[in-house]
Parts: sequence; C-alpha cells; structure tokens
Amino acid sequence: MGRFWSLLFLMVPIFGVGIFVWAMAGWWPMYGHWLPENVNAHGGVIDSLFMFILVLTGVIFLATTLVMFWFMWRYDGGKVAEPVTYTHGSHTLEVVWSILPAATLVFIAIYQMDAWADAKMRRPTLPNGQVKPPLAEITGRQFEWRIRYAGEDGQVGTADDIQLANDLHLPVNEEIVLSIKSADVLHSFFLPNMRVKQDVVPGMKQFIWFQPTRSGVFDIVCAELCGWGHYKMRGRVTIEPREKFDVWLAQRLAEQNQSQFTPAPVEAE
Amino acid sequence: MKRNFNLRRLGLALTALAALSGCGAPVADFRRYETYAHKVALSAGMEKGFTPTQRQDIDEAMQALFGTPDMPSLPAVEGIELGKIASLSRLKLAAGPVGSDEQGNPRGLYREHCAHCHGISGDGAGPTAAFLNPYPRDYRKGQFKFKSTPIGQKPTHDDLKKIVLEGIPGTAMPSFKLLPDLEVEAMIEYVKYLSIRGEVERGLLQAASNLDPDDKNARLISVLPANATTEQKAAQQEQIAAVKDVVKTVVERWDQAAGAVTAIPARPKMTKAELAASIKHGRELFFGTIANCIKCHGDSALGDGQTTDFDEWTKEFIDLGKDPKVVREFVSLGMLPPRTIRPRNLRQGIYRGGLRPIDIYWRMINGIEGTPMPALSTNVRKEGDPPEAKKLNPEEIWDLVNYVQSLPYDPINSPVEAYREAQILMERPL
Repeated sequence: MGRFWSLLFLMVPIFGVGIFVWAMAGWWPMYGHWLPENVNAHGGVIDSLFMFILVLTGVIFLATTLVMFWFMWRYDGGKVAEPVTYTHGSHTLEVVWSILPAATLVFIAIYQMDAWADAKMRRPTLPNGQVKPPLAEITGRQFEWRIRYAGEDGQVGTADDIQLANDLHLPVNEEIVLSIKSADVLHSFFLPNMRVKQDVVPGMKQFIWFQPTRSGVFDIVCAELCGWGHYKMRGRVTIEPREKFDVWLAQRLAEQNQSQFTPAPVEAE
Repeated sequence: MKRNFNLRRLGLALTALAALSGCGAPVADFRRYETYAHKVALSAGMEKGFTPTQRQDIDEAMQALFGTPDMPSLPAVEGIELGKIASLSRLKLAAGPVGSDEQGNPRGLYREHCAHCHGISGDGAGPTAAFLNPYPRDYRKGQFKFKSTPIGQKPTHDDLKKIVLEGIPGTAMPSFKLLPDLEVEAMIEYVKYLSIRGEVERGLLQAASNLDPDDKNARLISVLPANATTEQKAAQQEQIAAVKDVVKTVVERWDQAAGAVTAIPARPKMTKAELAASIKHGRELFFGTIANCIKCHGDSALGDGQTTDFDEWTKEFIDLGKDPKVVREFVSLGMLPPRTIRPRNLRQGIYRGGLRPIDIYWRMINGIEGTPMPALSTNVRKEGDPPEAKKLNPEEIWDLVNYVQSLPYDPINSPVEAYREAQILMERPL
C-alpha cells in the first residue's frame, strides 16, 4: 500500500500544475478558463501582480508537495526496515521558515503599494488639477444595476440625468470614473475585463476608474453574494468610440424625455 | 456477517436519500384560488362554502381550459385571434420546469425568473413574496398598475414589456433587459395567460355561487343521466355556454387593450421663464381642490397625506367588515398579511411606472388601477362642458407633470441647500 499512497500524492503537484498550464494554453476543454482579455490600460499591473503571486505560491506548492512525496516514498513502512529515530527538530530551520514567509509577505505588501494607490487613491484628474467627476453613478440593487449618467451638466443627481438599468455604455480610450452605491445590501461591482472590482457598501459612495482600450461588449457581474438572485445580477458594458457613445446617450435622453404619445392605429377586424 | 449488515444499511440509507430528494421533483400544480372562493362564499351567504364536488368541477373546468403549469393550453374563443394575446408555442418556452429542450430552446422561463416572487399560479405569493414590500403582483385579479390604458382596461403588450425590461424602481422587481427578446416575449405572454386563467377562475367561482344552495346536486355543468331528456340536454348546453362566456369576457378585454391606449398631446414647448410659470401653476393645482393631490401625497409632497388606505388586491378581502378574525381567515387561506399602501414620496425622483413625462402624464390622467390614485380624466374639461364647471384644462395636466418633475430637485430637499437658501434670505436687507 505504501508505494500506492506516495504515488497518489505525487499526482497532486502534477495535476495541480497541469490544470493551470492547460487552462493558460486554452486547450480543450478548458478554453476560456484563464483570465478574460484585459481591455483596461491600467489592468496590466493587476495581471502582473496576479502572475507574480501565482508563480510564487506555485513554486512553494510544488516544493512542499514534492517534499511530501519524497518523505512518503523514502520512509515507506512496508519497504524500510530501519528503526524510527526521534528528532527534537531544528531551531535554525524553524527560524528560517518563519522569517522567509514573513519577509515575503512584507515584500508583497510594499511591492503592490503603488498599484493599490493607482487603483484606489490616485483618481484621474481634469486638466485643471481637480479630480475627474464621475461620468455615471451605478447603484447595485437586488438584483440589477441601475445606471445614472451625469448628463450635460456633468453632475449626477440633477434633472438632466439619464437613468437606465443594466446596460452601460462607455467611450473608449478615455479615463472613465464611475461612482458606485448600493440601494440595499452588500454587492460588488465587477468588470472582469477591466480588472476592476469594488465592493458596494450600503451608505458608502465609492469611485472606480479605468481606461478601456478597445471597443466591444463585456460583462458586469456581482461578485458578492447578495441574495438568492445574485447569480443573475448581470449587466453589460458596451465600449464604443466617443461619437457613437454621444449619439447613443442622446438617444436615451430623447427616449427619457418622450412627451407625446400617439397610439398606433389598431387594425380593423 | 457484519460486512453484509453494513452493506444493507448503506443500501437502505441510499434508498432513503433517493426517496427524500425525490428522484424527479413533484409535478407543479396550479393552486386553487382559495381566498376568492372564501370571499365569494361569504358574500353569497353560503354558510358551508362550496361543496367538494363544486370545487372539483371548477378544477376540472380550469384544467380543461388552461392545462397545467407544465402543459399550458388556451381555450379557443370565437372571433378572437388568440395569437395576438399569447401563442401556445411561446407559452411553452415559459412553462414547465427550468431547462431546455433537445433543440436547445429554453424551457421554464417563468419558473426561472418570475415564480419565486409571483408564484407558480401567478398569485403573487411565491416563496420570497412575504419578504418584499410592496408585495409582488397577484395576476389573477387581472389588474395591473402601470399601463397606458384607463382603469378597467387591460395593459397593452408594450406596457407589460416595459415593466419586464426596465423593472420597477422602488420595488423588488428588477430589470430583465439583457434577456433575448424571444424569452422576454414568452414571459409576458405567460403572465397574460396566468392573468386570464385567474380571472376565469374568479368568474367560475362567481358562477358556482349562483347555484341553488338547497340543491345538493347542483353543479357548474350537470352530469346527464343516460336517459336524459332534451330539456336536460339543453340546460347542460346552456351551462357550457355560460362557462365559455366567462372565458370570452376575459379574453375580449385583453384583445381590446391595444385600442384603448390614451393618447397624450405634445407637451407645449417652453422657454425657461414659461417653464417656471408652468411649475408655479402646477404647484397651485397640486394644492387645489380639483386635482387635490395633497390629499394623499401630503402638502409637503412626501407621500405623507392619506396613508391608511389599502390597495384593491387587499381591500377586496379585508373590506368584509375589517374584522380581524375575517382577515386572519384570509391570511390562513394564502393572502399575505395586509399592509397599507403608501402614496408616492414625490421628492425622491423614483417613479415606479417610469420617469418619462408620458409615464407621469398617464399616471395622472388614467390614475393607477388598484390603488387609491384616481384618474384626472373625469376632471378634465371636455367640449360642451359649461364654462363655470370646475375642471382642469387639458394643458394644465402638463403643468402638474412639470411641477412633479421639478420636485426631486427642489433645493429644500437637501438640508445643505435649504440652509444656504435660508441664510441668503436672512442676510437679505429688509
């Protein structure tokens, strides 16, 4: 039995690494299981941080599982007749494996500070140095995203706002600032392709920003279990050139201001 | 031996698990309209209520007309093209358990997206309903709030579609904008189907209450003996015709909806000064005795006027004396605990029926069906009205709309703004 167990545990690092490699390569049946395409000009840094931590933990994962395999193989009770020896342990080794991870964590904490500040603190500014106002306000609600564009005056909360649900449109190649709110419970506004995820806390107003690099249609999902309908709390973000975006927004405003209605003639029976 | 025993125990446990998890969930069934049956029995003075045979007859008639939640069907109605209201092929996309067929077409859309709040039978009492405020709509009464048609008329297809696509802000109804159009259409038609079904059930219960209470054998549709006389046969034909009539009355009104839409005259183009004057005049009307908005919406427009009223879905049952015992009876039969209906706080800028000027215009001119919000249409001046009659001119509805639309942005709403205004006022030299 001993050899069987050691070989079985050898499968852990092999499959563990294999699945990641398979997914990264996008081979069948794991097509589309790796990271979605990054379309945010500031998203690269998030991806490199992710890869850095993945490689770091991957190496440690490989090392520990291989050491475990080696111990199981080398000291298999069925094959090895040597008597068991007792060891009190190694003080030096304990110091090393305490200090090394601690140092690594401190390194990561410092290494990512700039990325954190870029994502959470250094909000894009206008040419005059003031922080850029949000283009739209997104309100998470069980189970939909309500969108409120600032409109012509550039201010959310005024009479010329354009109010929509779930269907967000944004101009490409511009710094986009959105403000995020919740109407009821915790949600999390997640744009996988923008590498942006912000918890939405009732009573708080938060800002996110990103710069889409290409036109296309991408997902908005809720990344915080918010109730039974969490899984279908989806939205859609359409990135398009500024001219198209302006036309689209003007159409929505015209629809919202519809102030005449002539019923279509009913066909005579 | 021990090993055998363990295996047997394992086998038993697995069987029990399979039985408990129900290999194949129980078949869904439409719930009987118990609350309405009770109400009809009470108002008809039927001391013992309907007999089991009478209920059975209604169940069978309902099943023959409308099928089951898994296999819906539509009764043919003379002279009405049913496809315009709901088509069986689309109903089948919405009916049944959640899943898809061999071709990959969706199935069970209603149960996937709607049933947990609106209930399998469309009774507005699904598993999550009791946690929501306001409660989800009970379709069976055949009344809908947000529509372009006057009270008493059905909503149009487009009215229902707008609600499904945009959701109802201020309530638990979310937007289903991103679903494929076919799926949205299927769900809307299924809602109409459930509503028609519910109203027919009400009609049949009403019809059954007219049966002779002393005749134990009186039935909705008599079962004829083998040697039935021509008279008996004719009487049975009449009974069948009466059931068909109930269906026809309901379906006809859905058919008429598209022709009943209220037209809205264009909002007058205004300069800034004219708009300000219009808002000012709208405010006067808001406080005036003809429109009398303040009665419910309050003189602050915070929705704090008349707040003790109920909606029609509740009133229908609790108005029978408002006796707590009677209310409890209805609750035990499936009515959700009654809650008062609150007039809208007009300063929030949340409009359940939509925020377009035409939506607000429709709410005012047609009222909101099933709620205490009355239609202004009866107070609008028509040709031939005497000039001294206290009525609104048609353009004045737009003044009211303009005033209501200005309310969410009234500086007084924001404490900071209000404080600033007050300071300006105080510092102004007298």
